Amino acid sequence: MLHSRFLASVALSALMLGTLPAASFAETPADTLIQAWSIDDIISLDPAEIFEFTASEIAGNSYETLIGYDPENVSDIFGKAAESWTVSEDGKTISFTMREGRTFASGNPITAEDAVFSLVRAVKLDKSPAFIIGQLGMTPDNVEANIVQTGPMTFDFKMDKAYAPTLVLYCLTATVASVVDKKLVMEHEANGDYGYDWLKTNYAGSGPFTIKDWRPNEAVILERNAAYSGDAPPMARVIYRHIPETATQRLLLEKGDIDIARNLTAVDIKALEADPEVKIESGVKGSLYYLGLNQKNQYLAKPEVREAMKYLIDYTTIADTIMAGKVKVHQGFLPEGFLGAYDETPFALDIEKAKALLAEAGLAEGFKVTMDTRNTPEITAMAQAMQQTMAQAGIELELIPGDGKQTLTKYRARTHDIYIGRWGPDFQDPHTNASTFAYNIDNSDEASAKPLAWRNAWDIPELSASTDAAMLEPDAAKRAEMYLAAQKEVLATGPFVIYAQEIEVFGERKNVEGVIIGPSFNDNNFAHVTK
Amino acid sequence: MTMTRDWLLSERPASRRQARIGQIYRTWLAFRGNGLALFGACIVLALVVVAILAPWLAPHDPLIGDLNHTRLLPPLTEGYWLGTDEQGRDILSRLLHGARITLAVVALVAVIATPVGLLVGTTAGYFGGWVDTVLMRITDIVLAFPKLILALAFVAALGPGIENAIIAISITAWPPYARLARAETLTIRNSDFIAATKLQGASSARIIWKHVVPLCLSSVIVRVTLDMAGIILTAAGLGFLGLGAQPPQPEWGAMIAGGRNFLVDYWWVATMPGLAIFTVSLGFNLLGDGLRDVLDPRGRK
Repeated sequence: MLHSRFLASVALSALMLGTLPAASFAETPADTLIQAWSIDDIISLDPAEIFEFTASEIAGNSYETLIGYDPENVSDIFGKAAESWTVSEDGKTISFTMREGRTFASGNPITAEDAVFSLVRAVKLDKSPAFIIGQLGMTPDNVEANIVQTGPMTFDFKMDKAYAPTLVLYCLTATVASVVDKKLVMEHEANGDYGYDWLKTNYAGSGPFTIKDWRPNEAVILERNAAYSGDAPPMARVIYRHIPETATQRLLLEKGDIDIARNLTAVDIKALEADPEVKIESGVKGSLYYLGLNQKNQYLAKPEVREAMKYLIDYTTIADTIMAGKVKVHQGFLPEGFLGAYDETPFALDIEKAKALLAEAGLAEGFKVTMDTRNTPEITAMAQAMQQTMAQAGIELELIPGDGKQTLTKYRARTHDIYIGRWGPDFQDPHTNASTFAYNIDNSDEASAKPLAWRNAWDIPELSASTDAAMLEPDAAKRAEMYLAAQKEVLATGPFVIYAQEIEVFGERKNVEGVIIGPSFNDNNFAHVTK
Repeated sequence: MTMTRDWLLSERPASRRQARIGQIYRTWLAFRGNGLALFGACIVLALVVVAILAPWLAPHDPLIGDLNHTRLLPPLTEGYWLGTDEQGRDILSRLLHGARITLAVVALVAVIATPVGLLVGTTAGYFGGWVDTVLMRITDIVLAFPKLILALAFVAALGPGIENAIIAISITAWPPYARLARAETLTIRNSDFIAATKLQGASSARIIWKHVVPLCLSSVIVRVTLDMAGIILTAAGLGFLGLGAQPPQPEWGAMIAGGRNFLVDYWWVATMPGLAIFTVSLGFNLLGDGLRDVLDPRGRK
């Protein structure tokens, strides 16, 4: 109640301000951070199910994972809920020790029992992100035998193979490995659902903030967690308001009705740079923008055509104009900041070279091909820019627009020609992207695993084998070499035209300090924000 | 025989042809006296001319722009008098080429929807009874749906694209013509001249086609002309929602949709196609009003 009244007063003051002279602005309450963001992607607040951008960020600020890393230096891994760990001789078992004397927001102590429960629960519920733990050899049937409590504050994590320890630890930094309050969750269990129905819309964590309220397509309210073991966050509340229109976000920010605008376009960013009351902060994200060329298409299956396509994208122009400030040119399948990331950009727009390659493939006359395009302004604009450059080499690119679900459904059924998409890594280990861009062990239509290479019908038994090998390589330097080689191979012959890496941009009021924009969404942190 | 004014306005035409031409001339005289209608006709004529001559009139390629150098230039920039859009394309050239799409939509919808409406309406009106009941209830059902929503549903089912948009709009556009034609038919079906034709042994098809349809035609034409503006707006609405013409086609509605994201800083990208839609809709409305004044005998004082 208190909060709805509070929100109402915010709304009311915003309304009244509309009538005041433009020079003045509404001030948000001093202990409350208000953000405008398109939050319609949230489908659940249960860490075992969260796999969306917005919900990940909320989980990152309200739950604690077993392991964490420094967002500014991803290779610096440390224990969060876990204090320490040891890897067994054969590399198949990792023993964790939990930190002493910590409690959940509910007041219950955090023990190894909660950690084991959380991991087992995630695998058993088997929602979208469950594979992150599942890929380490855990199945709903064997997980209880493999993740076992060995003492009040210790537990063992037994895997089927000796996976690279960094891979395992990075998997345990994902939101799916958040520690949930067993006692609280089990109080709300119904029909053996591990409290899933309840936790979908409730909270049972130990992070700097608690999730107070989520009203779909309206707002999410986080409140300071009094029982948090770290420094208490300066902000008593963090409020996300669902404001899908970017122009509205910008106007609210300019007027001071919000503290942070999250969905600014390149045009907004440029205009706001001149506003003395506003500052722009950005951080490189792990998401990659790419084209997927379906190898079932007779033209795209030709290696020369695949290479030619990589010469027909005006990489720098797209990054400097349509997406100015929001992307940087990137071509390897591992985003900058990852172990073994290949940061060189060997391809640039070269119409003549592309024409020569097409002629080599016997397609000097060009050909016609379709591209499934999500109808968001940015994707459409980039697609149109590509349409223009490809036309110069005789390739007639027909755009088929659709909403995210339509285009993705078609892509997953691999009935597309070209798909223009965006891929976000699931965790910070290079395996997350290698396992999708450079892995396809079964190229049949009935395959059970459907990585991006499968979606584009790219049959690569050898590359898949080396991806498997890299997953098991314990030496980090050697692993990096293996991934570098895989990236060069995919870049040279693969059906992926990776053209940009995302930069996330925050438009903030001048007085907002201490926002951390991390490489993935659950790293965006507001625990130290002051204003 | 010289086509003088006297011959045209003769009270005693010597032939059917003279009577018909005389009637057209009289209509034209009445129409000419209406300044607004003439203005509307000029706009529509201009649209047709622009559509035909678009490739020669357009100063730039409507589909290919230069992202690096001509992106979002303001209006009155030399060589780009209406400015450029977010892809660096000349808005004037796109508007000129877009006139072709607009005209094609309007013409095709008129060609598809009008005959269907006329046929359904005159048949229902002429036969009456259960034929009337069935046909008019179908018409009522279609009319019960909001036009744009129904068109949206059809396009969603058929798939986006300008052809499907035309089909969808046509499907939603015919019922008013059917109603109108039926009402007209009811007033004339019991006339003596129809009875006389019947007695001479004319078939129903012949009576409808030769005697009923021509008498309904003028009011239907007026209605179609007045609806043109609505058709243009519906097509633009579908384009705006991404269901009409597909990029990079310079459809006006789609151009507004593209410019919407830049409205705060680059107003012209959405405004120019908006003005084009406004102007053409206005033209059709004025023309329709003028036509009603001259074609509808009851409107004459």
